[in-house]
Amino acid sequence: MSEQSPSTISFIIDKNSISIFSIILQQGFKVFAKVGSSLESMLCDQFALPPEYLSNRIQTIFLDGKPVDDVTSTMITDGATLALSAAMPGLVGATFRSGGALSVFRSSITHREEEEKSNISAQGMITLKLFNLLVSEIGPAFLERGIWVETEIIKNLIEEKKTEGKTVFKSLKVDGREIGPDEFSRLNWNEGQKLIEVTVQIEK
Amino acid sequence: MDKILRINVSAEGGPTALEEGLGEYAGLGGRGMTSGIISKEVPPLCHPLGKDNKLVIAPGMLSGSAAAVSGRISVGCKSPLTGGIKEANSGGQGAQALARLGYAAIVLEGKPADDTLYKVFINKDGVTIEPDNSLKMLGNYATVEKIKAACGDKVCCISIGQAGEMKLSAATVAFTDMEQRPTRHAGRGGVGAVMGSKGIKVIVLDDTGMGMRKPKNPDAFKSANKEFVAGLKQHPVTGEGLPAFGTNVLTNVLNEAGGYPTKNFSTGQFKESTKIAGEALAQIEKDRGGSATQGCHRGCVIQCSGTYNDKDGNFLTKQPEYETVWAHGGNCCIYDLDTIAMLDRLDDDFGLDTIEMGATIAVAMDAGIAEFGDGEAAINLIKEVGKGTPLGRILGNGAKVAGQVLGVERVPVVKGQAMPAYDPRAVQGIGVTYATTTMGADHTAGYAVTANILGVGGSVDALKPEGQIDLSRNLQIATAAIDATGMCLFIAFAILDQPKTFQALLDIINGFHGLSLTADDVTELGKSILSKERDFNARAGFTNKDDRLPEYFKNEKLAPHGVTFAVKDEELDQVFNW
Ligand code: SF4
Repeated sequence: MSEQSPSTISFIIDKNSISIFSIILQQGFKVFAKVGSSLESMLCDQFALPPEYLSNRIQTIFLDGKPVDDVTSTMITDGATLALSAAMPGLVGATFRSGGALSVFRSSITHREEEEKSNISAQGMITLKLFNLLVSEIGPAFLERGIWVETEIIKNLIEEKKTEGKTVFKSLKVDGREIGPDEFSRLNWNEGQKLIEVTVQIEK
Repeated sequence: MDKILRINVSAEGGPTALEEGLGEYAGLGGRGMTSGIISKEVPPLCHPLGKDNKLVIAPGMLSGSAAAVSGRISVGCKSPLTGGIKEANSGGQGAQALARLGYAAIVLEGKPADDTLYKVFINKDGVTIEPDNSLKMLGNYATVEKIKAACGDKVCCISIGQAGEMKLSAATVAFTDMEQRPTRHAGRGGVGAVMGSKGIKVIVLDDTGMGMRKPKNPDAFKSANKEFVAGLKQHPVTGEGLPAFGTNVLTNVLNEAGGYPTKNFSTGQFKESTKIAGEALAQIEKDRGGSATQGCHRGCVIQCSGTYNDKDGNFLTKQPEYETVWAHGGNCCIYDLDTIAMLDRLDDDFGLDTIEMGATIAVAMDAGIAEFGDGEAAINLIKEVGKGTPLGRILGNGAKVAGQVLGVERVPVVKGQAMPAYDPRAVQGIGVTYATTTMGADHTAGYAVTANILGVGGSVDALKPEGQIDLSRNLQIATAAIDATGMCLFIAFAILDQPKTFQALLDIINGFHGLSLTADDVTELGKSILSKERDFNARAGFTNKDDRLPEYFKNEKLAPHGVTFAVKDEELDQVFNW
């Protein structure tokens, strides 16, 4: 076990402990996706979000740090960073809302479609960030499906939670093998390996 | 609410109280009342701490009634920070108590003969004013404790801390919340210094025996209020987002947009933002037995506030707001929520504006007084202000003074007041508002309904940058009107999205006052308030040159988008052309 750096980690956690992944979901995680498709198609067809959830709930969207107004014409390319949020309060919240009447307030940083370099359909990897209400609403589905996170982040998370052992992690499998809390600190993390695949099952 | 209480602090033998009818101020409330009195009665060229300035405290038109979210209060004066007219808005129990006691305003006027401190007690039987030098240089928390011991735990306090007594330009006026803690502040522009200059430490309001204000048309009022509450509850922002995470829910979004002013406005993103965002804050509050969902006054159905406990589960402060977490956090590169909460507590206790102080400490850090990211140093700097050391007094007079004394060019102020938590290079429309509002850089001016609902100044073309001017104008008009009602500005989203909820708001005002106001009348109300404020500032010597952002926003590119503030001066000059 200790010879090889883990490449996949699966957690089973109690539903009350889901918040330990909240920061990871906000800071950003990576997922494989078919790029070269529209934002709407990626979210609804590939990530299986209901179209009404996209139109009613996800009201603030950033692509590479720029607010997006039109989900149908915006194309996603390999390596993109996509941040999703519910509607935000106040004037500035309204300013960042997709297609909102106040979008003129941030026109200089608004995402424009012509900036996209390519819309060739291919497999790629994107970074996804989830904020506020979306963390608990759609975060678990991404965690269950599997996400890629910087190895360092998972190493720190396990380190931080090791004393709480089984109360947080009901089960932890490294490369398919169940390990106990006593083995947490003996995991051999490979400094050179940037990403690790993480899946999280939430015990109902 | 049919009388005004005037307290003349110049009178021989100590302050005297005089009640008078509303006269020409009838029908005004909140910002409408404060700006009405200041623009009419205060000579614009007077010294803000002198005998001719007045401090006006006015509940909103609907405060004290059963209307939901209507307990906001306005504090107005000539600002010692900006030199112009000021309205600072606060939550807390003050609006409801004052309105139920029948006062549309308290006006503090004159100049005391000596430095005796006074406390004012108001109940259903009238007004008592007594000297009480035992309150000298007490913080707001200790002041309220003393009042509680003497008057019980039901009264509401309007007080100043050490900063107000020292007449510092970042001093606030504090209002106690539902738990009788001095956590709600009329924060901006140094209103606390003006209260200090009048020698009044605390105003105690006891509304025992006073009922709720009654509407003229109870049935119409009641059904409109029901509709209004339903509208707020059903909207995802006022019904879910704000109650769950508070205003600090904005941190992640602003940071993602590259508009989160970091390290004294030198960059638009803070690497550690998720550690201090609303999501993390709410989690800590819940884990420590505090609360992430609480109102700042009775009758708030949105409840964007909360309680922040320390590591041992003891109350430390109310949930710090987005602007506070930014000012003391990201803007100073501090990412420890316990440190930020402690700074919030100290600000509340000394009676200091959290936005001004965070901006000032960042300027001091830029000058090398402390390292960016050094939370302990930030706490010590605020303590210097509370103690009134020479450095503390410099910092307590705000970012502009600190920048001048410490030789810093990057000082983010307009009309002497520090900018809040949105970089105007990334969100240029906010920059238009910062530049042109009568208040000095202020994010709440323009925090309201859009042109599309109020229909002022025509509709806005979202694709043209010039649209920002029209939009900023319309928002400032709408905000001035909402500030007059006593409604919290966070109702904006629900009335923006749901025409029925906007209509319900009009119906509440009409049902309560027996009026038949239309959206156009609301627009006219907002315009008339702004006109009075602009006129005051013009007479105080302000010109269009004061409606500008500091030069560096035009020259220094903001990462990550590499943007500068590009709205032209001539365009800014068009904001008030209606
Ligand atoms: S929404 Fe927040 S700020 Fe507004 S009245 Fe309620 S608690 Fe106070």
